[in-house]
Amino acid sequence: MSSTVYVDRGSSIHRLNPVTKLVAMLCIIVIVFALPVWWVSGLVLAVAIIPAAVVSRCGRKLSRISATILLPILVVLFVVQGLTFPGGKTALISWGVFTVTSEGLHFALGIGLRLVCLVLASVLLVLTTHPGDLMSALTARGMSPKFGYIISSTLQLIPAFRDRANAILLAQQARGLSVRGSPLRRIKIMMPLLGPLILGMFTDVEDRSTAMEARGFGSTARRTSLVPVPDSSVQRVSRWAMPMVSLAVIVVPFATGAL
Amino acid sequence: MPHSTNGADSRRARNIAFVILGALIVVATYLYLVIGRPTEIADTSTSHASLIAIGGYVVGAVFLAVGSIHRLPTTTVALIPVAIALNIVVGQIVSVIGLPVYLDSIGTVLVAALAGPAAGVVTGILTNVIWGLTLSPIALPFAVVQVVIGIFAGTAARWGMFRRFYTAPLAGLVTGVVAAMVSAPIAAFVFGGATGGGTGAIVGAFQAMGQSLLGATTLQGLLSDPVDKAITFTVVALLLIALPARFLQRFPFAREHRVFGRTGPKATQTALAREG
Repeated sequence: MSSTVYVDRGSSIHRLNPVTKLVAMLCIIVIVFALPVWWVSGLVLAVAIIPAAVVSRCGRKLSRISATILLPILVVLFVVQGLTFPGGKTALISWGVFTVTSEGLHFALGIGLRLVCLVLASVLLVLTTHPGDLMSALTARGMSPKFGYIISSTLQLIPAFRDRANAILLAQQARGLSVRGSPLRRIKIMMPLLGPLILGMFTDVEDRSTAMEARGFGSTARRTSLVPVPDSSVQRVSRWAMPMVSLAVIVVPFATGAL
Repeated sequence: MPHSTNGADSRRARNIAFVILGALIVVATYLYLVIGRPTEIADTSTSHASLIAIGGYVVGAVFLAVGSIHRLPTTTVALIPVAIALNIVVGQIVSVIGLPVYLDSIGTVLVAALAGPAAGVVTGILTNVIWGLTLSPIALPFAVVQVVIGIFAGTAARWGMFRRFYTAPLAGLVTGVVAAMVSAPIAAFVFGGATGGGTGAIVGAFQAMGQSLLGATTLQGLLSDPVDKAITFTVVALLLIALPARFLQRFPFAREHRVFGRTGPKATQTALAREG
């Protein structure tokens, strides 16, 4: 089960209802995208995301994962938009044909901070919530059990799939298949890899679907949930309050004509 | 659903309504972003373009998936996890080997060809959801692109484009052009053109030549997506020939629309004979 990044630290964030955390993450994303000024994202980061990360005791892993995702994007964003932003007029630094404009950097700052919020909030959700818990909570709320089955089963399949792909690649290399060479050559080696991989995995599908049909998977009757999901009245209220706040954030600027 | 009681009928109507609503939201989002306010958006980050790009596409994709999933039989539901794992694992291997393409939609196209557009839509959106849950949340806003790929691949299969070698890459080219156009507003307004090192440099080069941000991301997508999808569709056409005929018979969509044409079973037998 190496395909999830969930770490069990048993903090109060871990013990929250998965749906509460999902709603909180969605509301954070809506708020930072609805108010397109850079300090809103900074505020959300300082007031909501960083305290939550500290409480959850996953701060180190969160920053490591987020940095590997965000660093390349942020570097490219600032370099590309700083130099070539179409609306750039005020030159800060000029060096030969390269000119860094303040409009470009301002644009990059706005987009960049928003992406930081998006990535940190969703990685924190994934770190503190086991996908199985999230799926059973959502299924109990009326999501089709097919979604839950597909997501949970894929998360278990990916490591098995990767092992199989590696084994096939090694076997083909032992037969003399070279993985070096021109791009066109390397596309050709995809076929001896994909053929056995897909044929092998797909033959398993038939057995699995027969087993599922025999156990009434397609039935639409309402089931009793096997795993009880923790919940509290405070969370129930906040699950309504948070979307209301984000809705207000979208509507109020329009109503007052601030934007 | 075999029993057509009142409940099943109303559920069916609800699902169709979801699909139509989702498609309308996606199309409206694209039209608003591209045609609605072409100049104003490109030059400023203080507009609602980002929220509309991410919100409209995600909500539209979710509606499409919710409306589609109830129509899938159990065989298809059992197939989808394999297809998603295929998308993700092959996508990763390709980026490790260092090919200049993505190849992260082989599973989506394969499922759409075997089980129809609805199955392709579900595979597409869940690929990006799982990608977002495991590797990088950057994939989440792009879920709608995989949905479009699923719809186009399913339609191509219905028209028999996977029967021959030369029609599959053609369908892939068309899908790639549409995928590039749909993904351009996300790359521009959510990521500021910086979705990766190489692509970011290309966007910068187009901007330096005088393109707007949206124009630059569209051109960048048109450089890579059509080729990528043409390769993907060809790979899928080859895989369909290699799959055993008994397996293909499990899918009513493939049988009904003769996705493989008349040569299918015969070619399968020779492929099997070759494998020993």
